[in-house]
Amino acid sequence: MAAINIQKLSKDFSGFKALTELSLDVREGEFLTLLGPSGCGKTTLLKIISGFIEPTKGHILLNGKDVTKVPPEARDTALCFQSYALFPHLSVRENLEFGLRQKKVPALDRKDRIADVAEKLGLGPQMDKLPNQLSGGQQQRVSLGRALVMRPSVILFDEPLSNLDAKLRDQVRLEIRRIQKDYKLTAIYVTHDQAEALAMSDRIVVLKSGQIEQVDTPERLYAAPRTGFVADFIGNANVFTGRVLPQKTPTIWRIETPIGILETGNNAGTEGAEITLCWRPENAEINDDGALGGTVTSKAFQGHFTDLMVETKGVPYRIQTSRTDVNEGDTIGFNVPGPSVILLENAQ
Amino acid sequence: MNRLRLNNILMALVIALAFIWLFIPFVMAVLWSLVDPSQPWTADKLLPPAMSFYRWVNMWQNSSLQPALLTSYTLAPSAAILSLLLAFPTSFALGRIAFPGREVAKTLCLLPLVVPPFITAVFFTALLYRLGLTAWRPGAIIFAHAVVFLPFSIRILTVSFETVRQDHIDAARDLGAGHWARFKAAYLPALRPGIYASLLIVFIQSIEEFAIAFIVGSPDVVTIPVLLYSALGQDYVRPNAAVLSLILVIPNVFLMLFLERLLKSANPTLASGKG
Ligand SMILES: Nc1ncnc2c1ncn2[C@@H]1O[C@H](COP(=O)(O)OP(=O)(O)OP(=O)(O)O)[C@@H](O)[C@H]1O
Ligand SMILES: [Mg+2]
Repeated sequence: MAAINIQKLSKDFSGFKALTELSLDVREGEFLTLLGPSGCGKTTLLKIISGFIEPTKGHILLNGKDVTKVPPEARDTALCFQSYALFPHLSVRENLEFGLRQKKVPALDRKDRIADVAEKLGLGPQMDKLPNQLSGGQQQRVSLGRALVMRPSVILFDEPLSNLDAKLRDQVRLEIRRIQKDYKLTAIYVTHDQAEALAMSDRIVVLKSGQIEQVDTPERLYAAPRTGFVADFIGNANVFTGRVLPQKTPTIWRIETPIGILETGNNAGTEGAEITLCWRPENAEINDDGALGGTVTSKAFQGHFTDLMVETKGVPYRIQTSRTDVNEGDTIGFNVPGPSVILLENAQ
Repeated sequence: MNRLRLNNILMALVIALAFIWLFIPFVMAVLWSLVDPSQPWTADKLLPPAMSFYRWVNMWQNSSLQPALLTSYTLAPSAAILSLLLAFPTSFALGRIAFPGREVAKTLCLLPLVVPPFITAVFFTALLYRLGLTAWRPGAIIFAHAVVFLPFSIRILTVSFETVRQDHIDAARDLGAGHWARFKAAYLPALRPGIYASLLIVFIQSIEEFAIAFIVGSPDVVTIPVLLYSALGQDYVRPNAAVLSLILVIPNVFLMLFLERLLKSANPTLASGKG
């Protein structure tokens, strides 16, 4: 059974459609990430799931029960705030205890649960401190702990790592994932950082203007984006429109694009059709007698690869290569291997 | 170097001003209150020629000082609490609910303060009489003080309500807190300094208020300022007035210091212990 069913959810903010007919099932024990650009409705969706915003239309089921009208205090969800939202006048222990007291959990039970969570999060030495005596990472852990002690059916995160520095972010990211697996929690995680989404998720939901663009595992989302938006949002992609040329052989399709003719084994459709396609910058193979070619306009060394901006007939695109002998102003030849050409739905 | 010197000069200036405005009148009041009636303190003498607590003892025993103290110190806290209670809903609305014209409403709430207090007193009491709200005089004074000083309370509490963080409210709610628990966990810590400040300010204003207390209260209800003004009035006795004004001012000083401590302890970022 799915832990959460979201059924045709819509939210209008006085005429502005923040979410439109959004449907989604979240599986039990799954780590699901909501990914999308700023303003696409991630927080709105999370707040509807936790009960702070009532949807304009649609239903939301938690463990099969319709909770659309249930207020947040009575909902079995726990929210981890981007700002941590720890109570400043309460010690770490009292913060952790707050929710359990509200739920009238017996004292002994409270102690056990808090001790368990404190140990898992390494908060032991901090228990009697006030939040402002903790580092950002520690505060973030307390906020996670405060949600965890509730043993909710769903734990919700709204960009919980955005206030941490890069290194700490990696560490806490792994920690969140480990604890989510330990407790077999169903988690919904909001971020606009695609690297974070790829690294943590069982599945990723890509949102665009209040609608789901694509839902899939990180691997499949990367390998087979359905639209140019997804392709460009997850990783980098060179997106082109093209026209299908007469087939070369029954299994090889040829497509004319602004930078030249691409060949692929993927079925591009009938001759003359307008299509949208993309390929990943790292899949181009630089090769002096490549079928395609262009002029390098800029170059950025990134350590394990070099990022090149290349132009063909005024059309710019990106190539990533491990070669270090290419310089600005050089004319290069390259190939895009057939399997790397990803055909997209035309709608942008 | 120059800066240090400037600092020193400024500091000296501040101390001098404080001396002229606060210390000298205070010392004068103390000295005048100690003048013994046997020998008058004339302008040619630096200190009173004979000093005793005669005035204090006399005022305490033979005037209406005792009942006036009791009246003042009953009315003022009551007015402070009533004003706080009246201010609460308005401040909540002004501080936490977004509605068109909110900023204008905030300013309007402060407007009554620009009217000279005596005018407010005269017209407000007239209104009280018109409404027939003066049957129980102490109650009428409490009500009048609470309402007249309401702008202070509203302003202070509005600012406090604005400092309450929405994510604290949401977090409490998400963790299952009902209305009261939410108020205690998210609102109260942020409101506490404002509550103390509002209580204190209305208390002090009410303790010192003369016009309303006089018009509404006389002749049955006598507060310290009423007593003080009558001491300044037909039978003006400067030493007696000095005693009264000291009685009026000394508790306020202690209250001020007390509030300072409360405010510090109410702010968890300043306190070392638990807030
Ligand atoms: N209370 C509100 N009233 C009106 N419009 C709102 C309200 N809350 C959100 N919106 C609008 O709804 C859209 C989605 O907002 P939301 O906060 O869900 O975005 P988000 O995906 O979380 O963005 P971000 O990554 O910046 O946090 C935005 O365009 C926002 O302006
Ligand atoms: Mg957001």
